[in-house]
Amino acid sequence: MKVDLTTRIKGLTFKNPITVASGTFGTTDEYGRYVDYKKLGAIITKTITVKPREGNPMPRICETTAGMLNAIGLQNKGLEDFIIHKIPYFKKIGTPLIVSVAGETVQEFAELARVFEKHRDVVSALEVNLSCPNVEAGGVNFMKKQERILEAIKAVRQRTSLTVFAKLSPELGDVLEIAGKVLGEGADGISVTNTLRGMAVDIDSRRSKLAKDFGGLSGPAIKPVALRYVYQVKKEFKVPVIASGGISDVDDALEFLIVGADLLAVGTANFVEPRATLEILEGIKRFCAKQGIKKLDELRGSYRPCGDSKKGCHR
Amino acid sequence: MTKKIFDEKVKILQNVKVNQKYYKLAFASPLLAQKAVPGQFLQIKIGEGNDPYLRRPFSYYRTSGNKVEILYEILGRGTRMLSEKKAGETLKVMGPLGKGFTLTPKGKKRVLVAGGVGVPPLVFLAERHAAAYLLIGTKSKAEVMPKSELKNAKAKILYSTEDGSYGVKGRVTALLEKILKKEDPGKIFIQTCGPKKMMEAVIAIARKYGIDGEASWDENMACGVGACLGCMVETRSGRMRACADGPVFPFKELVIP
Ligand SMILES: Cc1cc2nc3c(=O)[nH]c(=O)nc-3n(C[C@H](O)[C@H](O)[C@H](O)COP(=O)(O)OP(=O)(O)OC[C@H]3O[C@@H](n4cnc5c(N)ncnc54)[C@H](O)[C@@H]3O)c2cc1C
Ligand SMILES: Cc1cc2nc3c(=O)[nH]c(=O)nc-3n(C[C@H](O)[C@H](O)[C@H](O)COP(=O)(O)O)c2cc1C
Ligand code: FES
Repeated sequence: MKVDLTTRIKGLTFKNPITVASGTFGTTDEYGRYVDYKKLGAIITKTITVKPREGNPMPRICETTAGMLNAIGLQNKGLEDFIIHKIPYFKKIGTPLIVSVAGETVQEFAELARVFEKHRDVVSALEVNLSCPNVEAGGVNFMKKQERILEAIKAVRQRTSLTVFAKLSPELGDVLEIAGKVLGEGADGISVTNTLRGMAVDIDSRRSKLAKDFGGLSGPAIKPVALRYVYQVKKEFKVPVIASGGISDVDDALEFLIVGADLLAVGTANFVEPRATLEILEGIKRFCAKQGIKKLDELRGSYRPCGDSKKGCHR
Repeated sequence: MTKKIFDEKVKILQNVKVNQKYYKLAFASPLLAQKAVPGQFLQIKIGEGNDPYLRRPFSYYRTSGNKVEILYEILGRGTRMLSEKKAGETLKVMGPLGKGFTLTPKGKKRVLVAGGVGVPPLVFLAERHAAAYLLIGTKSKAEVMPKSELKNAKAKILYSTEDGSYGVKGRVTALLEKILKKEDPGKIFIQTCGPKKMMEAVIAIARKYGIDGEASWDENMACGVGACLGCMVETRSGRMRACADGPVFPFKELVIP
């Protein structure tokens, strides 16, 4: 049985919902030996900043229970390098490209949007990274940070008509509240969740296991939290959602689809299983065929909520 | 330049303790065995589930025909679990990864300096290509490799132990300096792998004598294929990925903090 996996988001068409989470799939063809990039529904790039960034010192990663902490610090070669060297590569591949962007100032967010607007032939959408836990916002307080995020989204919206996703995490405050606000400023959809800030201590040296006090937690450990955010954002706002957070196998992917996710971004799992994306894709097809599901949209958002009944949801 | 990398499910042939420090694990895989060079490594998924979650990097210790061996030390949860695996159990193994050692530095006498988990790749190197010396530093006699494990190494093997219980007492770097004093520095090429402090001291000595060489610079790794940017090494051409651009780097390239 042929299963229709087509995923439509605001005029964009993806042949399937499987994509890769920003920063977990290299900068160009690192996984080309394992994965035919043409088979992916979309590709999300490592976050691009206007100026090149060196990132943090070592160690940048350490394993924690069912996941890992990272403090990469948005290392990337900057906007110009991306335009010159990466855009032609992705153009050749032809898979819809979602460019992840982050600015250090509102002006930089605006600049990124302005430049990518000119590459609409290759770029399908922007994912605005508002939530990298590894970049300090210059000591600004919480409210100030929220204000800046909203200004950033507004600036991006003014410069581009590309589809804009705001990438969030609970680091920014209440996810639903922020999601409501960024959608109010013109974001088309939400990407949840970025990593959750965490710590790991070496008990002998009593120092952090990373070169920073904190790192971003990713992997299976954060999946239940991510799933809940995707569910809540979908339910509350009914906007397109890119889901990430511990998606490692087909069952994880199906859970996210059932609560309504539009695109499924496989992240840390790529490091463990380079073919995780394609294995998940095959698994979804098998599941649908077995369940007699002809179109993925029949499954998407089919979650049966518990409701308020005193009897609970299993009766 | 797509180098061939394979991801194989392999069956463990042997997993035994060789001394107080090291375990040796062997498996058969033509694809993982045949093209590997000393200094390259494998990414091994130790458990099937989420514990441990990430793969762990291990150097090639030896290949012969279709057989691959690694030599490892228990340093944490993952390596402890690996040591509990029995022959017949399976592992997922990816490799060969990274760039290995230079095999034929022209007209030079090679001195290999190893410590800790840096011993396996240098024994492999000495088995493949004769070196003048293989210097190994350990804490005590208990960690000295059994003779049977070193019998094919084509080098004069000298040990230094910190407590003097075997070989020369002291650090391996003191042993290295003693040897260098007798040699023409222009004809020497050093290849080293081991704890960072040791490699830094080796490089400092090499610089003092004006000697060229290479170090296998290990960093914690997640992907092992250049995708996560977790394993960067400071070099004169900027930060490079230990897993994909290394792990072996020329002394000249390394910027030691
Ligand atoms: C290219 C490369 C080749 C290696 N080759 C070998 C080898 O041939 N034999 C061997 O025994 N070990 C080797 N190592 C080290 C080995 O990967 C680690 O000992 C292992 O990952 C520890 O896993 P764990 O779960 O037991 O410990 P963890 O709980 O993950 O860590 C325990 C301790 O090991 C240290 N450690 C963790 N990862 C690394 C690492 N990548 N490199 C060095 N120390 C680390 C940690 O800092 C910590 O002190 C190599 C590492 C690299 C990067
Ligand atoms: C090593 C690493 C690098 C990452 N880099 C970025 C980044 O540059 N931009 C971004 O928006 N998210 C980044 N992330 C977050 C992921 O895109 C993803 O949202 C998060 O890891 C949760 O998904 P996962 O559990 O499947 O990995 C990174 C995550 C990891 C592990
Ligand atoms: S381990 Fe991921 S880039 Fe080296």
